[in-house]
Amino acid sequence: MTRSTPLRSTSRRRFLKTTAAAAATAVVAPPTVTVAAPKSLTLIHESSFIKAYDAYFQNTLAPAYEKLTGIKIDYELASVGSLQTRVTTIAETGHGADLTLNFFNWPFLYDEKYIDVSDIAEAVGKQQGGWYAPAQEACVVNGKWKAVPFGNVGQLMNWRTDWFKEVGFEKFPETWDELLEAGIKLKAKGHPFGFELGHGFGDNHGWIYPLLWSFGGHEVEPDGKTIVLDSDETARAVDFARKFYQQTMLEDCLGWTDVNNNKAWLSEQISCTNNAESILWVAKHDFPDIAKVTDQAQNPKGPKGRFHVLNCWSHSIFTSTPDHDAARAFLKWLTDKPQLSAWYASSETYYQPFLHGYDDAPMWNAEPRNIPYRDALATAHLPGWPAPVSRAQSEVIAKYVVIDMFAKACSGTSTKDAIATATQQLKQIYGQA
Amino acid sequence: MIERRGWRARALRLWLPLGFFLLTGLAPFYWMVVTSLKPNAELYNRRIMPLIVYHPTLKHYIDLLTETNFLTWTYNTTLVAVVSTAISLVFGIMLAYPLARMRFAGAGLIAAAVAATYLVPQPFLFIPLADIINNLGLSDTLTSVILTYPTMLIPFCAWLLIGYFKTVPRELEEAARIDGASRWQTMARVVLPLCIPGFISAGIFAFTLSQNEFLYALIFLNKTDVRTVPVGAIAELIRGDVFYWGQLMAAALLGSLPVAFLYSFFVEHYVAGLTAGSVKA
Amino acid sequence: MAAIPQAAAPPRPLELRVALGRWLDREAVFSWLMMALPLIFLFALVGYPFVYGVYLSLENRPVAQPGVFVGLRNFIEDARDPVFWQVTRNTFIYTGVATALKMAGGLALALVINQGFRMKNLIRAALLLPFIVPTVLSTVAWMWILDPAFSVINWVLVHGGLVTPPGPSWLGNPSLAMASIIVINTWRGLPFYAISLLAGLQTIPLDLYEAATIDGASPRARFWYITLPLLKPVILIVTVFSVIFTFADFQLVYVLTHGGPANATQLFATYAFDIAMSGGQLGRGASVALAMLPMLGLLIIGLTVYMRRRE
Repeated sequence: MTRSTPLRSTSRRRFLKTTAAAAATAVVAPPTVTVAAPKSLTLIHESSFIKAYDAYFQNTLAPAYEKLTGIKIDYELASVGSLQTRVTTIAETGHGADLTLNFFNWPFLYDEKYIDVSDIAEAVGKQQGGWYAPAQEACVVNGKWKAVPFGNVGQLMNWRTDWFKEVGFEKFPETWDELLEAGIKLKAKGHPFGFELGHGFGDNHGWIYPLLWSFGGHEVEPDGKTIVLDSDETARAVDFARKFYQQTMLEDCLGWTDVNNNKAWLSEQISCTNNAESILWVAKHDFPDIAKVTDQAQNPKGPKGRFHVLNCWSHSIFTSTPDHDAARAFLKWLTDKPQLSAWYASSETYYQPFLHGYDDAPMWNAEPRNIPYRDALATAHLPGWPAPVSRAQSEVIAKYVVIDMFAKACSGTSTKDAIATATQQLKQIYGQA
Repeated sequence: MIERRGWRARALRLWLPLGFFLLTGLAPFYWMVVTSLKPNAELYNRRIMPLIVYHPTLKHYIDLLTETNFLTWTYNTTLVAVVSTAISLVFGIMLAYPLARMRFAGAGLIAAAVAATYLVPQPFLFIPLADIINNLGLSDTLTSVILTYPTMLIPFCAWLLIGYFKTVPRELEEAARIDGASRWQTMARVVLPLCIPGFISAGIFAFTLSQNEFLYALIFLNKTDVRTVPVGAIAELIRGDVFYWGQLMAAALLGSLPVAFLYSFFVEHYVAGLTAGSVKA
Repeated sequence: MAAIPQAAAPPRPLELRVALGRWLDREAVFSWLMMALPLIFLFALVGYPFVYGVYLSLENRPVAQPGVFVGLRNFIEDARDPVFWQVTRNTFIYTGVATALKMAGGLALALVINQGFRMKNLIRAALLLPFIVPTVLSTVAWMWILDPAFSVINWVLVHGGLVTPPGPSWLGNPSLAMASIIVINTWRGLPFYAISLLAGLQTIPLDLYEAATIDGASPRARFWYITLPLLKPVILIVTVFSVIFTFADFQLVYVLTHGGPANATQLFATYAFDIAMSGGQLGRGASVALAMLPMLGLLIIGLTVYMRRRE
């Protein structure tokens, strides 16, 4: 059931203000922006780790757009982990917001409730250097762009340079086997590893899927139907994970959610983990001594290559928004170079742009340790790769099928049983039980 | 009650077990206090004794009160809790009294239906409820939660009150009826006053449950000015995978200590009310 | 008592009023009138959504897509899902153990604070604190309390030489994780039991005890033959509610472990939520949530019968 966004009542002052704005706009502004009757657009986002990024939108971008067009932009922040609930409610009830942020493969999940924004996306790609291919994995549904990609929240290795040096590693290990070797030595010295194996949202996916892929393991073939999880490659990945967990990590990791590794890092319990840029950022602000010895690196290589997880942030417009044109105009403006580049910069590269035009942007020089996050973009994939994006994938992620397979194996279940259970679950989800 | 005198017996019967419950109940609060007063650098430091604060700071409290909407959330939470509790108590009485003390056709059915209502869990109801709330144009208003909280509180209050209503002896009621009182008068003047401890009990629980509610508030209240404390704290004191522990703990304490203090007054009331009501001829 | 027909005009409205009054006084009428408003409220805000939810559970209903009626297929799929059965086991164990602990502990605490002592109001209010503090926030505190590196319990065990450092992993070890959520739930819910039972204790007439003592009954006998039987209705009601609450618990697990490690702490509510919200399968999520009802219903009936029978 669609419901129109409540129109704000116009006070005389606002009327004058908007008329003045309209007059000014007609004279000064680029001709592409049409002046509409006073109303507002709501964009929902997840509360960003970087306060400055949200603040930049609220204090600079939104007022600028309002000044330009008279349309008030409401920037609504959902708490971490609750954005999807919000988007689901809006998609279902057709009420609540006009534009939204997406993670992972949501453009596919909510495909029917999102407007086709191919024209905007293609224009932006052309204007700003071309899109990284992985971004299209997540945003192009049946040939149409249902979202304009924004940036990646990369999940990479964080490592303690001082402790690694003590056990003979000047650079971050290249392969998983080398990392295992380093971990065994470090654990013996009282500096274990801490990789999330619990039911979090990001720090578990960040290493488990790449581990699986780098050993050649896949859940489902690119045809989207053939379930191939039960393979030698998967078994090798699982066996490695068990060794890795038992010989290098804290026991607690099995139950860790996203916050635990940050906590463990800052209390100097662990020497290596997989995380977004949040650990380094907080360390720099509150724990400069720890920040000095924290570095970031790409995931290690396995026999079949090096991989990373794609967490594609993108923006979409709900079909239930009352004024499609106004919403499109806003999205176009937002993703236009001046606004987009400034918004990227405000996040201190926490969101890695999907546009090649930013590969050499000056913002990377502010913190060179974040550059690996940019380099990882080329090998990033959505959980469920190489199968094409589907609803079944979302269910697999929601049920933690792959994560639990590894977690169960690490806590003692035999590799055969862990893989069998996961395969059974996959069959059920893909409708082949 | 006639008890054996002697401090040893009293210690065994009272002070020791009381001490145990107080310790286990309040230990986490000690941790909350300590965490809310510690500067971040101390909080993460494993080498020092975690139960002592070496350089206490009020920064977290100040930040909570000045940089976040905590006071607004507290006001919202209290308002919602008071109104929801009032609605639930009144509706609870209206349901419980007939079910407890009247005989009429369909009583069993209604009792079962009310119980069934309570069995319906929130994670099941919230999507259809979200639809209704949105169609009524109530999303992001406190009305949405004021309307939905009683759905979980009324059956609860009703059942609790049925128990209390049942303990009032029939003789009192019959005496009043013989004296010519109508059912309404009997209820209002005889039975209800005796059950005030029950109302206080039910009221305390309803209030606490409203304050504590998270799921509906999470779904319906998205704008910061209408949020309640649980949702506001989780939404805005957590950014990414970084928890602002000090502020979270400060919020926990500021959200509960004043309420507990208030309750301490009701507990006194309720004891007085009880002894008055329990002595029977 | 018919009115005498030759009364003047005023008696007629009076007659009506008397008749009305008498009609309203009939048990059935009085009862239904009283219950009307709350029943309408509950019907609109619980009954209707419930029916809608049941219909949802019979559909294949991916988010943002229309639903397709599939009958019982969701339930059959649930029955074939091994995680569903783990969730069932978890929820029963969680509910059973936590309720038992809360009942025993709550009764003990109620008996203790029923005695007179100084500062009892303040102490009683302090004991209520675990119940008052918003669950999501106290759970955040427990994250630290259960972290082996910061936990007092681990410190004691390690320094007492009983375990190797860092000590038990309260949230990583699957069995300990279940124990941890049971402990936190008990910690949180025990005051609720205690205060309810306290009120029940205090409605027991004192002269019953006095009479029994005069007859020579020991404190133990007084407890078994007076206190416990008279408390039964209150115990029953409080237990029923506690069971319902605990069975449908969401906040604690959602914040602390989100069902991990490997579904060791996954409960119905969190599993249904994940399937519906993260997985985008509203029909299947509704079916998992709905599966709670028969089990809950059975539990409640069982409890009620058991309690009634002990008369």
